[in-house]
Amino acid sequence: MKRIFDTGNAAITEGAIRAGCNLFAGYPITPATEIAENMSRRLPQVGGYYLQAEDENAALHICNGGSIGGLKAMTATSGPGFILFADAFGWAVSSEVPVVIVNSQRVGPVSGITGAPGQGEFYLSRYLTHGGNYETIVLAPASVQEAYRLTVRAFALAERFRTPVIVLADQMVTDGWETLELPETDDEFAALGLEVVPRRINPGPEFYPASDEIDVPPVVLGHNTGAACSDWTPTDRGHDTEDITWQHKHAWRLIHKIVNNRQLIDEADEWFLDDDPEIILVGYGTPSRVIRSAVGEARKSGLKVGGIRLISLWPFQSHLFTRTACYLVVELNWDGQLVREVERAAADGSNVHFWGRCGELPSMAELLDTVRQLLDNEPLQRDGWRTEKW
Amino acid sequence: MSDLLETYVRPEKNPGTACKGCGLRLAHRNVLEAIDELKLSTGDVVWGTGIGCSGRQTFATWRGDTFAGTHGRVYAMATGLRLALPPEKRLILTVGDGDAFTIGFLHLLNAARRNVDMTVVVFDNLGYQSTGGQYGVTTPLGSRTDSSPYGAWEPNWTQGGFDVLRILKEAGATFLARHTVLQGHEPVESLKKAIGNRGFSLVQLIYPCVTHFGVQALETRNIATVYDWFRERTSDDLAADSNTHFTTGIVHDAAGSRPEFSVAVRDFVASVQKGGSRGGTN
Repeated sequence: MKRIFDTGNAAITEGAIRAGCNLFAGYPITPATEIAENMSRRLPQVGGYYLQAEDENAALHICNGGSIGGLKAMTATSGPGFILFADAFGWAVSSEVPVVIVNSQRVGPVSGITGAPGQGEFYLSRYLTHGGNYETIVLAPASVQEAYRLTVRAFALAERFRTPVIVLADQMVTDGWETLELPETDDEFAALGLEVVPRRINPGPEFYPASDEIDVPPVVLGHNTGAACSDWTPTDRGHDTEDITWQHKHAWRLIHKIVNNRQLIDEADEWFLDDDPEIILVGYGTPSRVIRSAVGEARKSGLKVGGIRLISLWPFQSHLFTRTACYLVVELNWDGQLVREVERAAADGSNVHFWGRCGELPSMAELLDTVRQLLDNEPLQRDGWRTEKW
Repeated sequence: MSDLLETYVRPEKNPGTACKGCGLRLAHRNVLEAIDELKLSTGDVVWGTGIGCSGRQTFATWRGDTFAGTHGRVYAMATGLRLALPPEKRLILTVGDGDAFTIGFLHLLNAARRNVDMTVVVFDNLGYQSTGGQYGVTTPLGSRTDSSPYGAWEPNWTQGGFDVLRILKEAGATFLARHTVLQGHEPVESLKKAIGNRGFSLVQLIYPCVTHFGVQALETRNIATVYDWFRERTSDDLAADSNTHFTTGIVHDAAGSRPEFSVAVRDFVASVQKGGSRGGTN
C-alpha cells in the first residue's frame, strides 16, 4: 500500500483512474472542482480524455456519448450542477448506460453556501430524473479512504447493472484531508474487496432483454452490431415503441435488475445492535462519524445505544430497521430527508426522531444530550421530526 | 430509392410513419443518396437523431449502429462518442430546427467551437410541427401557427439580416450549407462534402410540412400548392433577400482549415504521455 495524505477529491480521482475511467467531462463547481482539476492532470497520463463541458447538462451527455462508444466515463459536481443532470441521467437509466456521477453535497437550496457540507440530495439522488419506472444505485462515502473504495465500486456496479451510479459525498468528505492508502498491487486491490469490470460489447440483436439479469454487456456503438439506443421506450432490439407491453417490460427490468440483485449493492455499518439498544442513531456520510463517536461514548457510560451507518443509500435498506426501537436520525439538513425513509421502514411501535442542521456538523456532546433526553423521557424541544422547533 | 432503402434502412422501419406529403422523406433520401454516392456501407456510419419529426422519422431506420438523444443534447453526446470512435467512422445526426437552433444551440455552438467531426443535418420544417405546429427560429415572420395565431412576430434567425449559419461560422464550423429538398441533386452534393469533412459540418435542409405549416401558415392542405410555395421561395443565390427567399448554397467551406477535435485530443494526450512540455508531473 502506498500511504499518502490527501483529500477526498484526490481519492475519488485515484479511484476512478484505478477503475479504468478514461473520460471525464465536467464543469467547475465548489466543492467538486478539485475532482475535475485532478482528472485533467491524471487522465492524459493514462491515455484518457478530460473535457470541460459548456454546462453540467452537456457534461453528463458527453459522458453518456463516450460510454455508448465504449469509454468508462465519470462526471463530478455539487447541488446546482447535480440538478442539471436530470435530462442526461434519465437517458442513461433508460438506455442502460454505465456512467459514474459524483455529487459533493453543499448547503442549499440553489447556490446556498458553497464551502460547507449539506445533505439535501438524498431524495434527489433517488429521483434525479422524471417519469419514475426505475431504481437508482447511490453510494455514500464517509471518509477519504471510503471515497476511493466507493468510486471504484461505483464503476464496477455501473458496468454490471448497466446504469448510472451516484457517489453521494458531502463537502467535508471531498475537501477533507486524511490518510489514504492506495493499493499498489492487484492483490492489495482485491484484498479491499474491489474489482475492475472491463467494458464488454453487446453483440445484439437483443440489446434490452426483458429480464432482471445483470452482467448483460452494454450497448456499444461503432462495432456494426446494429446497436440502437435512445430516449424512447425500447423494444428488445432497442427500437422505439409506443406499445405499452414493451413499456412494462422495460420498466420491470429497470426496477428489478436492481432490487432483485440488491445483495451486490447493500452495504451498511451496524454498531452495538446485538443487545436491543434503547436508542439507535442513524446517518450517512460525514455526520455518521460523529454518530460513531457518540455511540462509543454512550456505551462507555453504560448506555444501551447503537448506530446504523448507511453506506449504500438506494435502493433503501429497509431491512436494517426491522427492530422496534427508538431511532434518532442525524442529517445535515433542516427539513429531514433520510428520516422520512427511516420512519417508513421502521417496525411498528418504533419512535423516529430527527436531529438536523445544515452547514456544520453536530458535536458529539449535542448528540449525547439528545440521547439522554430521549432515555429519560424528557420532553425534547421537538416532538417528532415533523413538528420540531429550534 | 428502393435499392437505397434495401441497402440502408431497416425493413421494419420502411415505410416510415411520416404524414402524407411530408417533405422529410425527400430529406432523408438526400442523406442516403449522399452516403451511397460516397460508397459508404452501414458499418462506416453511426447515425444519431434528436427529438421531433426528424427524430421520430429517422431513429433506428439506419441498418447500422444508431442512437437518439434527449432534445437538443445529441451534439454533446456526439462529442463524447466521437472520442470513442475511430476517426474514419462517419457520425451523422439528423435533427430538427428546434433541436439544433433553439434547445440544443449551446451544445451545437460548442461542437462547432471544438470542430468535432460530425455531420449535423437539420431537417428544417420551419417550426415545431410534431407538437402540432408552433413557431420557431426558422419560421418565416408573419406566419400563422398554433402559437402565433396573429402571425409570428418574434425576431427569427433567418430573416431581418440574421442567418443562424453565420453564427455557426463564427463559432468555428468548418462546413455549412443550406438547401431546400426541392433542388434536385444539389443538396446531395453539399451533403457529400459535409460528410467528407473531417470536422464539424452542418447542412440545413428545408422541407415542406403539409399537415401543419401548410394548413396553418399557407392555409392549404394541397400538397402541390405547398410544394410550389417552397419551390418559388427557393433561391440559388445566397445573396438574395432572405426576407422573401430561402437563400441556398454552400455558406462556408473551410474543410481542413482547423484541427479536428478528437484528433487534437489524442495528439494532446500522446504528448502528455511522452512527457511533452504541456504535460504535468505527478
